[in-house]
Amino acid sequence: MTSFVYIIVIFSIIVFAITMLGMLYRTIKGPTLHDRVVTLDAFGVTLMGMIGLLSIVLETTYLLPIIMLIGMVGFIGTVGFAKFLEKGVIIENDRDNNS
Amino acid sequence: MIEIIIVSLITIFLIGGAFFTAVAAIGVIRLPDTYTRIHAASKSSTLGVGMTLIGVFIYFAYYQAEIETQLILAIIFIFISAPVGAHMIARSAFHSDVEPYKLTILNELKRDETGSEIETEEHVRLKIERSKDKELDD
Amino acid sequence: MSFQLLVNIILAFLWMFMNADMSVGTFVTGYLIGLVAVYLFRNFLPGRFYLRRLYLMIKLLFIFIIELVKANIDVVKIVMSPKIDIHPGFYAYPSDLEEEWEVALLSTLITLTPGTVVVAISDDYSIIYIHGLDMDDADEEIDNIKAAFENVIKEVAQP
Repeated sequence: MTSFVYIIVIFSIIVFAITMLGMLYRTIKGPTLHDRVVTLDAFGVTLMGMIGLLSIVLETTYLLPIIMLIGMVGFIGTVGFAKFLEKGVIIENDRDNNS
Repeated sequence: MIEIIIVSLITIFLIGGAFFTAVAAIGVIRLPDTYTRIHAASKSSTLGVGMTLIGVFIYFAYYQAEIETQLILAIIFIFISAPVGAHMIARSAFHSDVEPYKLTILNELKRDETGSEIETEEHVRLKIERSKDKELDD
Repeated sequence: MSFQLLVNIILAFLWMFMNADMSVGTFVTGYLIGLVAVYLFRNFLPGRFYLRRLYLMIKLLFIFIIELVKANIDVVKIVMSPKIDIHPGFYAYPSDLEEEWEVALLSTLITLTPGTVVVAISDDYSIIYIHGLDMDDADEEIDNIKAAFENVIKEVAQP
C-alpha cells in the first residue's frame, strides 16, 4: 500500500509545480502592481504545501517548522506592501489625526 | 482493513488539495480584472493547501506514528491570515484608482466617496434588455 | 464568562490539594466536579452559563469551514466554463453590530463566503462595502448575508 500513496504524492507534486509556473506567468504579465502582489501571496501559500509533500518523499519531519515560518513571513510581506501602495509609508509616525 | 480506510482518506485529501490549487492558478490566469483575481487567489489556494496539509498530517500519524501538531497550527494561521491579506490588497487597489472591469454594475462605493453616479451603462443596458424579455413573454 | 471559568479552575485546584495527588487525571476530575457546581450556581454568577457560549463558538467555526467549501465550488464553476460571462459589482451593506471585534469577525466571514470580498468600512463601523463576483440584484445578496451570519454573531456576542 505504501507504493500507492507514493504514486499519489508524486502526482500531487507535479500538479503543484505546474501551478507555480502558471502563477509565474501572471506575475510577469500583470498590468498593475496589485496583481503581482496578490499572486505572490498565493505563491507563498502554495510553497507551504509543496514543502509538506516533499517531507513525505524524503521521509523526515525536520522540514515541518519551516512551513509556519514561510507562512508568517509571506503574510507580513503582503500587509506591508498593501500599506505602502495605499499611503506611501508603512508605519506612520504622527498620530495626531485619526487616520 | 483500517489501512484501506486510511489510504483512501489520504488519497481524497491530497487529490482534492491539488485540484483546488490548480483551480486557483487557472483562475488567476483567466479572470479579466484585478478585483476578481483577488477572489480566486485567496480563497482557492487557502482551501487547497489546507486539504493537502491535513493529508500530510494523517500520513505522518499513521505510518511514522508521530503526531505533528505544528501542521494544525500552520493550517489555522493560513485560515486567519489569507482573508485579511485579500481585504487589504482590495482596499489599496480601490484607493489607488485601479479600474474595475468594464461590465461592472452598480458602483455604490464610488458614489459615497466622490458623489458621482452609481448605475453604470452596463446596468442600464441590462435593465432595458430584461424589460423587453418580460414584454415578449406577456 | 471569564469569572465562571476562573471559579471552575480554582475548584479544580482545590480538589487536587484535598486529595494530595498532583496528576492530570485528578485535575480533570476536579474540573468536571467544578463544572457541576458552577452549573448549579449559575444564577448567582454574572453572565450566562459559559458552556453555551463555547458551543456557539464551535458552531461558528463549522459554519466558516462549510462556507469556504461552498465558495470554492462557485469559483470552480465560473473559472472552468468556456466563456466567462460575469457581472461584478460593488454594493453597500448596512450592519447593526456595535463593537469593533464583531465587525471584524463579520468581515472575515464575508470574505470567506462565495463571491464576496470586503473592500472598505465606513468610519463609524455601520456600513460595509462589498465587491461581489457575479451578481444581479443588490438587495437579495444583502438578505442572504443578513440571514445566515449576523444572527449567529449576535448570539455569540451576548454577554
